[in-house]
Amino acid sequence: MSFMITCPICGRRDLYEFRFGGEERGPRPEEDGLTPRAYCEYVHMRTNAGGPQQEWWFHRDGCGLWFTVRRNTLTNREVSPPEAEG
Amino acid sequence: MPIKLKSLWGKPPLKSGYDVVIIGGGIHGLATAYFLARDHGVKDVAVIERRFVGYGGSGRNTAIVRANQRSQENLKLYDEGLKLWPRLIAELDFNMMFFNCGNLNLAHSEAAISALRLQVVTAQFYGVISELLDARQCREIVPALDISDRLTYPILGGMYHPPGGTLRHDAVAWGLAKGAAAKGVRIHQYTEVTGLKVEQGRVTGVVTDNGPIRTPRVLIAAGGYSTLLAGLVGLRLPIHVLPIQAMVSQPVKPFLHHVVSSGAYHVYCNQSLKGELVTGAHMDPWPTYTTNVTAQYIKHQAEALTELMPVLKGLRFMRIWAGLADMTPDMAPIIQGNDPIEGLYLDCGWGYFGFKSGPITGKYLAQYLATAECPEALKPFTLRRFEQGRPLGEIATPINYGPWN
Repeated sequence: MSFMITCPICGRRDLYEFRFGGEERGPRPEEDGLTPRAYCEYVHMRTNAGGPQQEWWFHRDGCGLWFTVRRNTLTNREVSPPEAEG
Repeated sequence: MPIKLKSLWGKPPLKSGYDVVIIGGGIHGLATAYFLARDHGVKDVAVIERRFVGYGGSGRNTAIVRANQRSQENLKLYDEGLKLWPRLIAELDFNMMFFNCGNLNLAHSEAAISALRLQVVTAQFYGVISELLDARQCREIVPALDISDRLTYPILGGMYHPPGGTLRHDAVAWGLAKGAAAKGVRIHQYTEVTGLKVEQGRVTGVVTDNGPIRTPRVLIAAGGYSTLLAGLVGLRLPIHVLPIQAMVSQPVKPFLHHVVSSGAYHVYCNQSLKGELVTGAHMDPWPTYTTNVTAQYIKHQAEALTELMPVLKGLRFMRIWAGLADMTPDMAPIIQGNDPIEGLYLDCGWGYFGFKSGPITGKYLAQYLATAECPEALKPFTLRRFEQGRPLGEIATPINYGPWN
């Protein structure tokens, strides 16, 4: 399945140049008082949004940058972040 | 003269309540409904399908069945599943084109041979026929294979599993739907679930685009879309929904009498009873809910197949399609009931193992739904295994051992 990803440095490029890095899930939880369930929640559980989601990409065959984009998983099109639509 | 075909499972109107509502009119959902009615006397069952029976993963896989998995929990279930097919076909009186031609899994590195050896002894320990072959023996059963060192990754050997084979996946879905409907199950096609009703930690019903349904028990068996349904009640799952593509070639005379797969080349193929080469590849590693296809895959598939079997040069692909694979971190499914929500059952995370596991899982799930007691066979697949640090060992399979390690 093919679509385009916009690299902040190289611009809009074919997605086969990139490596997917997973949905954005915030910072790693603090280790103090961390329960197995909370850690599992961070490590394994995913939202799997059907719609726009913030996600990580790595420009493997390009500039080597890690960055996030907002992509609609139902259409595979990049979408503007909600704050920019304001 | 046009023939008016009779519907195999009818078009009943939606009732306002059911004992059990199964979301997903695929093989898992239909099998569960069938066995609920057959074995447990639970006949007030609705199967809700967003499109039509077998539209999702059930009709998009490459219909390969086998029981040579790595971990014992998986192996026992798939072995029982493999033995169920002939009985199911006889019982449903429906031709599912079961062809137990055997599977040959190729290894292209010492690491992969070691992985196969582990898998073979596991199978043999449980009485499943599986054996390790060297390259020459592989060529004896599949003469089209190139076992020379001209290949990028020469074939070192393989795992031969004679009881495996293929079926016709549409027929499996149709046969189960027909059988379930004959026992009183109501199949509602073109009905989309838009919400799940939960009151005080208990499921009380589902909301569909054709109206609400009251029910104390809901089974989510919607393949790759299960994550979206779980999301309706805020449930997050350790699943990545990845697209996987498959294609068929023009039909040719019989030349390939086994399912041949190669983890290193990311390719598996078999010749259908109609003569077409049916072949699938690895998944695209980015999640999506679309089932679009790409030219990259046809190219990849052509390169891999013609390298392994040079005789295929010039063969034309006729059709390509994609389906969703709901992948878990340990390649084993997630089967969970009454936790965290009473009355809500999950049957998902099958990845690309959903077809071969369908009927047998349905049989056990029916028992689970009817008694609220998880059968022993399904207990290892609990969602809680991840926080308990007990994932199943299924990823230690040849697909993860290539020439690169």
